[in-house]
Amino acid sequence: MFGKGLATGLKITLKRMLQPNITEFYPDVKADLPKTVRSSMGLEPEKCISCNLCAMACPNKVIELTSEKDENNKKVLKTYNMDVGRCLFCGLCTEACPTKALKVTQEYENAVYHPEHMQWDMIKRAKEVSRKEEKE
Amino acid sequence: MDTLNNLFLIIAAAIRGLFADPHSVWADITMDVVAFLAVIIIIVLAALVLILLERKVAGWTSQRPGPNRLGPRGWFQTIADALKLMGKEDVTPANADRLIFKVAPMIMFSLPLMTLAVIPYGKGMSPIDLDLGIFYFLAISALSTLALLMAGWGSNNKYSLLGGMRAVAQMISYEIPLIFSLLGVVMLTESLSLTKIVEAQGVVPFIVLQPLAFVIYIIAGIAEVNRAPFDLVEADQEVVAGPFTEYTGLRWGLFFLGEYGNMTAVSALAATVFLGGWQGPAILPGWIWFWLKTGLVIFFMMWVRWTFPRMRIDHLMHFAWKWLLPLSILNILLTGLGIYIYQLIPRIGG
Repeated sequence: MFGKGLATGLKITLKRMLQPNITEFYPDVKADLPKTVRSSMGLEPEKCISCNLCAMACPNKVIELTSEKDENNKKVLKTYNMDVGRCLFCGLCTEACPTKALKVTQEYENAVYHPEHMQWDMIKRAKEVSRKEEKE
Repeated sequence: MDTLNNLFLIIAAAIRGLFADPHSVWADITMDVVAFLAVIIIIVLAALVLILLERKVAGWTSQRPGPNRLGPRGWFQTIADALKLMGKEDVTPANADRLIFKVAPMIMFSLPLMTLAVIPYGKGMSPIDLDLGIFYFLAISALSTLALLMAGWGSNNKYSLLGGMRAVAQMISYEIPLIFSLLGVVMLTESLSLTKIVEAQGVVPFIVLQPLAFVIYIIAGIAEVNRAPFDLVEADQEVVAGPFTEYTGLRWGLFFLGEYGNMTAVSALAATVFLGGWQGPAILPGWIWFWLKTGLVIFFMMWVRWTFPRMRIDHLMHFAWKWLLPLSILNILLTGLGIYIYQLIPRIGG
């Protein structure tokens, strides 16, 4: 019959109107990410033995670290910088890490206003993360 | 309940009572100014609510919440938008026909102002009660074609002109079935007065007696106010924004106000003529019934807009001239036959 399609269309939109929203209310409610998402890096400086394997595994030369020797002639991490603008989050560095000090994390709010803010001081970031966790 | 029902009449009487002689010329002029302001308030409030409601309905049909940032659930969004619009630069294109360009939005805004003035919002609540109510309403609402053509011509822009031409072609085509669909009701009530038409619907609203006319009226009405699926006048993908392309800031805002005012007016006429206007069970005041029915028609228009894609322009013309017009003439014929038979019955019986 003429107009049957129109009625079907109206029925479908009415049904949609009555169904609940499928929108995720992003800033208020955080998205439920799949387990395989790799979107950021995290370091636990006390586990790090400054072996430099991560820097060598990196295909893009993102990681740069320096260390100094303590009184027991053991290497201690001094600085750990990542030029995250070049980072692919491929995870090769975490695979290379013998002590699992370096990890891929699911933090995704990484936007910054200036390019120089993409130089991550991983030791400082680790401190900030632990401070945040303490607060919570 | 009675007080609530006559709330606005009581307010009007109180204002009139402020004068020493309640029927002096000055009292009449004051009442006219009050009615004028009331209609402006109706249009502005309608636009504020409807623009947001439109975006909400658009969201709901695709299971989104719509605007939800400003105020409770985003209900203050249009106020912010209106303020933003006021702050915009007022640009007139260099080669525009200045006078026509500037007058067009004012005409567009004045039309719903004039049409909404004759609608009976409740018992005895028409701002102006005309005997030729329907006739006046249709004559005035037909003028919006002129405003759109003026905007299209004055902008000196090919897309605007195309949009203006489309407006003329479309709105004149749909004017005819629109008027013919109302004729059935006029034949039944033997009056062109909107007040009398509402009073005649005390028992059954005319949608029961004139279902075909109602369907034709709604379709032609949607086309008349240039809403999807008949929004060829401002079809963004084809003619940018049609006649509105060159308009900015408050002038564009006037067009927007006029458009939503027209939509309110067309819906209000549908509620008045077919759905019984302020007539309804006494659980609610008449004017609330009126706005509920108008709101229902408006919601239907929005629902249709966010469901159907735009029609092609030749299909649009075919539909008006080959379907709606014959159907509306058929409706007049059937109504006439029905009235004739109804008048015959007592004579046969007697």
